[in-house]
Amino acid sequence: MNTKAQLFCAWCGVGFLVLFSIGWWFIAGYIPPISPALSASEVAAFYQQNTGLIRLGMAITMFSAALSAPWVAVIAVQLKRIEGEFPALTYSLLVAGAVGVVVLVVPPMVWTTAAFRPERDAELIMLLNDFAWLFFVMTFSPFFIQNLVIGLAVFSDKAESPVFPRWVGYFNIWVAILLIPGGLITFFKTGPFAWDGVLAFWLPLLVFFGWFVVMFPLLLKAIKQQEQTA
Amino acid sequence: MNAKLSGESALVRTVGHTKAHVPGEVGIWVFILGDMLIFGAFFIVFMYYRGLNPELFSQSQAMLNQNYGAINTLFLLASSWFVAMAVEDMRSKQVRLAPVFFALAMFCGAGFGVVKIIEYSEKINAGITITTNDFFMYYYIFTGLHFLHVLIGMGVLVFLWLKARAAAKNKIARTDDVIEKDMVLIESGASYWHMVDLLWIVLFPLLYLMK
Repeated sequence: MNTKAQLFCAWCGVGFLVLFSIGWWFIAGYIPPISPALSASEVAAFYQQNTGLIRLGMAITMFSAALSAPWVAVIAVQLKRIEGEFPALTYSLLVAGAVGVVVLVVPPMVWTTAAFRPERDAELIMLLNDFAWLFFVMTFSPFFIQNLVIGLAVFSDKAESPVFPRWVGYFNIWVAILLIPGGLITFFKTGPFAWDGVLAFWLPLLVFFGWFVVMFPLLLKAIKQQEQTA
Repeated sequence: MNAKLSGESALVRTVGHTKAHVPGEVGIWVFILGDMLIFGAFFIVFMYYRGLNPELFSQSQAMLNQNYGAINTLFLLASSWFVAMAVEDMRSKQVRLAPVFFALAMFCGAGFGVVKIIEYSEKINAGITITTNDFFMYYYIFTGLHFLHVLIGMGVLVFLWLKARAAAKNKIARTDDVIEKDMVLIESGASYWHMVDLLWIVLFPLLYLMK
């Protein structure tokens, strides 16, 4: 069995992580986040001072986002091995993953819109900045479903040598639950549940990145196992 | 040769006996410890922000009804005890009272839910919401997330109750094999429910009592 395509897709996940970090974090400088408590002129100043870097960073971030598509697809291929003929959870993962790409693509386009004409009214820049951050941090639902169905599929694996060990199921459900606090940011401008807060932003971000780091070697192992048994 | 073999199996037996027993399947502890880690982070964040504004926090705390919190603590402690009794009963060959204990545990869980809903609606009617101040933000989010855990736990308890009922109906003495299979599921679910209880035991003094 040829597993080259699957390995390529798994490495796309690493590519996503690296390119997204470079564009969003190191070039555009969105970490730490712009505080939602800042005034319109302060927000506008950020875009006026970093215009070029934000434009470049967002182009890279936008590109990197779609690399999560092959990554989700290869996880789906492995889930399909568990589910067999009627892979409802696998399809759920694919649909949620596709929406996830949209959630990762749209905010960079809105951020870059704010940097497109940084001389415009500060209130308008703040509106775009708000929209991008809310869209980016608050939209946890596709990722929640994505992790939940992976967890459920892992639990349903009754094979002698399962595709993923069972603790991976619990881990994915734990990750799913941890993404929930992001949904609260609409209520707050300061504190741990604001979009720059420790519980709504930093913790889910850490867990989301950590999820890739944990899943990557497990995926390689599952692909290898498939290659040997086929 | 024979002596050597039996010596070996005796060794295996001894090692098997001294091996520590982890309740339920090992994977559930990834979830439980992970979840407790998160609530631990919540509590540290709460203490930090409380330290920044102790007056607001103690004034707001005075507006909570400690009776509701105390009743709910009793509900959860009792339900945890019922679950423990049920687990003990499930270990035997003839299951007798486990379904009753699980039903009582569910009753206590439902009682917790009713009290919580009364408490929330009182607060909301008094105009106190998640945006009132920092204290009530934590109050709603922490108790809300805990309540979500209780709701999931109620589903788990229904599952355990069905398992126990099936075991109790099985009049023929259950084999060791069946008991062991059941116990993994029962202990996993029970461990989760104990965690729900434990989280509340920390939440209650943190929100309602701490001076």
